[in-house]
Amino acid sequence: MERHGGPLVVSGVCKSFGGLEVLHDVSLDCRPGEIVGLIGPNGAGKSTLINAITSLMPVSSGEVRLGGVRVSNTSPQFCAASGLGRTFQNIRLFTRLTVRQNVEVAFTSGQRDRPDLSRRVDVAALLDQFDLTRFADWKAGALPYGSQRRLEIVRALALAPDFLLLDEPAAGMNAGETTALIAAVRRASDDFRCGVIVIDHDLRFIMTLCSRIFVLDAGRIIASGTPDEVTRNPRVIEVYIGHSRKGKTASTEERKDEQHA
Amino acid sequence: MMIERRALVGAVVLGLCIAVAGLLVWGFAAPYHQRLFFTFLVNLIAVVGLQVFMGNSDITHFGHVGFMGISAYVTAILATPVAVKRSALATAPFGVNTFELSPLVAVLFAILITLAVAFLVGLMMVRQAGIAATIATVAFLVIVHVVVMNWVDLTRGPRAFYGIPPKATIGWAVATAFGAIVLARAFRDSRWGLQLRASSEDVAAASAVGVPIRKLRFAAWMLSAFIMAVAGALFTLFVGTISPKSFYFDLTFLTIAMLILGGMHSVTGAVVGCVIVTAGVETMRFLESGPVFAGAKLPEMFGLTGFFLGLVIVLSMAFRPSGLLGSDEIDDIWHRRRLRKAGVEVS
Repeated sequence: MERHGGPLVVSGVCKSFGGLEVLHDVSLDCRPGEIVGLIGPNGAGKSTLINAITSLMPVSSGEVRLGGVRVSNTSPQFCAASGLGRTFQNIRLFTRLTVRQNVEVAFTSGQRDRPDLSRRVDVAALLDQFDLTRFADWKAGALPYGSQRRLEIVRALALAPDFLLLDEPAAGMNAGETTALIAAVRRASDDFRCGVIVIDHDLRFIMTLCSRIFVLDAGRIIASGTPDEVTRNPRVIEVYIGHSRKGKTASTEERKDEQHA
Repeated sequence: MMIERRALVGAVVLGLCIAVAGLLVWGFAAPYHQRLFFTFLVNLIAVVGLQVFMGNSDITHFGHVGFMGISAYVTAILATPVAVKRSALATAPFGVNTFELSPLVAVLFAILITLAVAFLVGLMMVRQAGIAATIATVAFLVIVHVVVMNWVDLTRGPRAFYGIPPKATIGWAVATAFGAIVLARAFRDSRWGLQLRASSEDVAAASAVGVPIRKLRFAAWMLSAFIMAVAGALFTLFVGTISPKSFYFDLTFLTIAMLILGGMHSVTGAVVGCVIVTAGVETMRFLESGPVFAGAKLPEMFGLTGFFLGLVIVLSMAFRPSGLLGSDEIDDIWHRRRLRKAGVEVS
């Protein structure tokens, strides 16, 4: 049962809450090692999609397969064991545990055999790579905001995932932190040979980091392609960037609008 | 590896404090204080047992004393001499009044039966968390009480069950308390304990990193029941006479107050809370009887002990909801102090 190396494929996923359809026939894919962006206005269903992919909630129809194995409508634990690591939009750390313990929880419960990796996952090295070593003995709840976001990524990486799903990892970070984050995510993707799906409202961050982008609006994928293709797509300009001529300048305004999220 | 050794040192230090106190009491204390110290140790074991489930899973547990009761009654029924049982349990079922077991064997049976009950209840318990789970634990306590009260042929019902051989010694109690503390720390600081504590803070995040939450809750539940069973058996074999109300709301309330005051997320907290509340209750009991104090006769104030326990819970909830120790163990405090001395900034 060789799973490593297979893509993450979302096909025709629908999700309704009662009569409200939040995701409609969403299909996307991510290949191992590829960094894919998922953007869209607030309420487009981005986080719901991540939750559906990781079985935090069931899908109404459609399915998600990882290397051919269905992971939708299973359990979050099964998804972790199958190679999905994720972070949360509203940070969910184990605040009473130390930074190191936060990572150890993932390391001890979900870490899988990855014979394809040259070296084993190492908690200390991961903390170091994300600039968290000096905080290792802190209670996670006492960390500065940006470090909490990075710790969530480290915790997900401790699973040695095949795919990493990042829900607004750069939210609340300043320009310097965001630049460092781009480098760290790239390096993690290389080290773990894992695909990454990243949601963020910071378009500059997404455009720099991702080779492909999917645009979600009102529960539907309305465009996909390279950053250039997506920013030139008239539908994207209409629903997402709308009031701005260039995608680049939109980022700050968008984030201001959506701070309440 | 480092972390586990540190936890072990912390547990052993706590246990040694108890052992030294035990030696002093055994050597010098009057019989009344020996009895008091023994009761303290039983409560300590019970509070540590309660901490194993409540502290790691963050599910408030009011049924723990039920396990003590089951174990206490099984021990009593099996270990009491036939001569006593022939009259006290004249109509006993299963022929339990025709044989007697040595206390140690009786305790083993008591633990096994308690664990069997805990297993069945646990299967249902682990499916829920929060208030639903808590109410289920209360219901469990009530069920145990009602069964003991009404299965008169087997338990003598509301009347006292007497004639149990008082074989337990302070030495045994100290050793058991030591063992309970080490066991509780070993679980808390194992990978399972750590994962369970993580899941008690955030179910979604813990699930997403693969923590098998129900299995771990179940493990903590069973270990907790085991420690409660030992506490119940020990108590029975010390006092020699038990009744259903020994294992009902009074003891539940007392042990909960101890755990909440000390800090339910910490074994050290459980021990500290037990020490402080025991001292407080003893003081209240002294005042309650209307003693002569500094030449003045104080009025009798019955119920002061219960009032005090309520006050402890209310005040800790209001001013220190995570207890005196919070989620820190004794070695966490040392560790942080050492880091600070070495110039490392620690939150």
